[in-house]
Amino acid sequence: MRKVAIVGQKQINAADVGKSRERMLFELCRDFYKEMGITRHDIDTFVLCSNDFYSGHTISNVFEDCPVGAYMKDETKVEADGVMAATYAFIRILSGLYDTAVVVASSQGGSVMRPYLQMDYSLNPTYDRQVDLLNEVNAAALQARAYMDEFGVSEEVLDKIAARNLRNAARNPYAFNGKTDVTPADVANSDVLYEPIKAMHCYPFTDGACVLLLAAEDRAKELTDAPVWIKGVGDLLETYYPERDVSRSKSVKSSAERAYKMAGISDPASELDLVEVSAKFSYQEPIICEALGLFPEGSAGDVADRGLADMDSAMPVSPSGGALGAYAFCAGGLVRIAECYRQLTGGAGDTQVADAHTALAHGQDGLFLQHNAVMVVSTEEG
Amino acid sequence: MADKLERVVVEAQVPLDYTYNYRVGPYIERYIKGLGDKKILATKCPQCSKVAVPPRKECGVCNKIMDEWVEVGPEGVVDNYTVGHVKIEKGLVENLESPALLAMITLDGATVPLLAEVKGMAPTDLKKGLRVKAVFTDPAEDSLADLSHFEQVG
Amino acid sequence: MRNVAIIGVGYTPVFVSKRKDVNIVEMMSESVDAAFRNTGLTPDDIDAVTFGNMQTFEGLNLPHLWASEHIRALDKPVLRVSTGGTVGMSVLQAAYYYVASGVYDVVMATSWEKQSEGDSQVGLAGIVLPEAIAMVQHGMDLFGIKGLGFGGGGSTGAASYQAMSYLHHSGASPEHIDKMAALERSNAVLNPYAHLRKKTTVEDIQATQMVAYPLRFGHTCPTTDGATTCIVASEDMVKKLTDGNVAWITGVGYAASDPCTANFLEGQITDPAEQMPAKIAVEKAYKQAGIKDPCKEIDMCELYNGFAHQSLMWLEKLGVCKEGEAHQMLDAGALEIDGEMPTNASGGVFSTNAIGSSAMNRPAECALQIMRKIEGEHQIPKKIRKALSHGWGGLFQYVAVMILADEPAKS
Repeated sequence: MRKVAIVGQKQINAADVGKSRERMLFELCRDFYKEMGITRHDIDTFVLCSNDFYSGHTISNVFEDCPVGAYMKDETKVEADGVMAATYAFIRILSGLYDTAVVVASSQGGSVMRPYLQMDYSLNPTYDRQVDLLNEVNAAALQARAYMDEFGVSEEVLDKIAARNLRNAARNPYAFNGKTDVTPADVANSDVLYEPIKAMHCYPFTDGACVLLLAAEDRAKELTDAPVWIKGVGDLLETYYPERDVSRSKSVKSSAERAYKMAGISDPASELDLVEVSAKFSYQEPIICEALGLFPEGSAGDVADRGLADMDSAMPVSPSGGALGAYAFCAGGLVRIAECYRQLTGGAGDTQVADAHTALAHGQDGLFLQHNAVMVVSTEEG
Repeated sequence: MADKLERVVVEAQVPLDYTYNYRVGPYIERYIKGLGDKKILATKCPQCSKVAVPPRKECGVCNKIMDEWVEVGPEGVVDNYTVGHVKIEKGLVENLESPALLAMITLDGATVPLLAEVKGMAPTDLKKGLRVKAVFTDPAEDSLADLSHFEQVG
Repeated sequence: MRNVAIIGVGYTPVFVSKRKDVNIVEMMSESVDAAFRNTGLTPDDIDAVTFGNMQTFEGLNLPHLWASEHIRALDKPVLRVSTGGTVGMSVLQAAYYYVASGVYDVVMATSWEKQSEGDSQVGLAGIVLPEAIAMVQHGMDLFGIKGLGFGGGGSTGAASYQAMSYLHHSGASPEHIDKMAALERSNAVLNPYAHLRKKTTVEDIQATQMVAYPLRFGHTCPTTDGATTCIVASEDMVKKLTDGNVAWITGVGYAASDPCTANFLEGQITDPAEQMPAKIAVEKAYKQAGIKDPCKEIDMCELYNGFAHQSLMWLEKLGVCKEGEAHQMLDAGALEIDGEMPTNASGGVFSTNAIGSSAMNRPAECALQIMRKIEGEHQIPKKIRKALSHGWGGLFQYVAVMILADEPAKS
């Protein structure tokens, strides 16, 4: 199998970028190609990642192709999380038909659409949308309760997780929702939406975009001195229906197992140097991390108390602030990969983790963590 | 030039509010008819004996058609719950004057929980394991709303 | 690069205007079940699933989430691809890349549309809605000559520009569009999975109403409910799972142009009949498939023709004949099922248009023709060695191409 590396990233996140989707993508990609020293003709295939609902635009990529430079180029669009789009671009290069690929994900959930409404549109229209009870936030509340009850975790733990992410985000220039000195008590005092979910447990509505450049071995080494190799990928879709045990994530576990196997990782807790997870609500972070095999099941309280997921710990979780710092749907997962890239190339500034060589990025779609994808990346060519 | 710049459109509101005509399919149709007779119908997997309510056609685990119909409820047990202090209307979060109780209820005879509203009790009394009973709309409207909500048993 | 083959195809039992008897996921499951029946596989044999449709047409965001177990994708990797009209082929190409890469061995690609549940012209209008609103706010005339493209006659209005340009450049006459329409409708009569199955003459077509010159109502495609599933496998798995009667994917291509918005705001850059991406995509696919002279080497075509003039146009743009020759081939009978270059023996998109699956039905039909497993009377009599399938979409801007063959590419 060929070796494929990430050779560059660029991202933008804001509550309101103040420009159209097309303009946002054009400026991002133009500047990125300039920084990379390439033109659009150096790119063999473009994998776009956006969503008609999130863009309010049928076939959302029709006006994105020219801004990102895909005019008269091989192009496709993944309508899911950015990690899945990056996975597809990786697979396209592996097929041998392409040597370079650009992945561009975007969404304007901050200024253009109402994210909770768009999530409603993903519900079963013959039942759930008719009875009109389920939404993204009460689904989160039910899953949070399931996790807390299963493992005896208290609400304060969710507050602590949120506070840590918001503090991390404050050090990340690409996150806009950071809060420098926020305490768990501040989080606890924010508005209760659906018990136990409070306003500060939730991802902020975000305008954003992220672009990655992927390249096969030879090209990667031409393009950069510090390639970050894609070592393993995995994704899994679970059932939509509420019969599964939502206090754990089978799909995160299985997708991680696939990715670890591909990457030759047998002990993720010691072999990974950091993870970037798309926890759209603070309670999701322990469910995801436990399924990744980083911490024992139900250990969220212990992890929070002992700071085991902090930036200076052995297993920093989302040093960027994760999805609580900024989460622009399709771009959300891709930003996680971009953050891993920044960490592994030593370019993470104030959020830099020491001695990071191998990292994992996670993305998700759907309610109750229904569809999860992971990617393992490393500086070691192997 | 200044005049021209002012004419630039910065924002346009375009509601995405189309009408769709969803076919509910034979399974939900039969379920709705059942509700009219104050019966909650479910389908059962011939292999793993999963009993799904609302009923559906496929058991994805066993790759089987769930063609056996069974009646479940009207009583059941609260599996999981949340107390809503807001409602989300067309994607916008609005405060509620009094909290709304939402529960995942496993009906007697079913294995898949059903999400429903619970009424007529204090939020603090809503607990896992609580027995609740379905309340039907009378007279029936031949819609999913015929299963109105649940109340505590006794 | 590994060799990849389509080992089986599954359609919904019918493609009709309104499937009132099933809901969306129940309909999808019918094509998946058919694919399993036709290949003798079970969901356990499938490593990953690729999935797609035009989501706003049914008002369903990320429909694979709800469809999960109905399409037997439970606990499997699932990739949702969505590229407009080309989506069916994009989904199948994704399955191809999945297997070619060596990451997965057997992949199921499924695509669908249940157009009766939504309003497709409203969905299509959503493509240009933001621009249209901006036009109104600029005080521009939506229903004047510039807005006519989408304001007048929906997608047919826009296609009329393309048809005019094509006729002008090719030397074909409007009667050739009538003739192509009648030929494909008559082919559809033979295909049990076609939607419009009424024996139609040139006169019948000419009697239909003019929508936007030169396109008549009889030149336009229907809106259809239906789903299609293809299962693709690596060479090793072909040996293991099949009797060897499969259709090999020997070349793929895809290219994007700029959106052709009928001169809404910034001036039209592209002639909608130029279709440069077709040339780019097909050249790449021919090269991969080792095809040097497509006019001679291609045995049949399945082309994405939402409108009847497009069958002729695509034959030229995809290099199956020279520019301006397609209508002469039509006159010579070459495009008929027993002709030299059978084109849309299935009746094409023009007779059956469940949009999400339309661009998958093209390679699926080619595969079935190669495998000689066509159900119905439209099996092409001559042996098919190499077939060209094509998808088209976006705002007149995407072209997808897939070459199928009875033998794997020589490495």
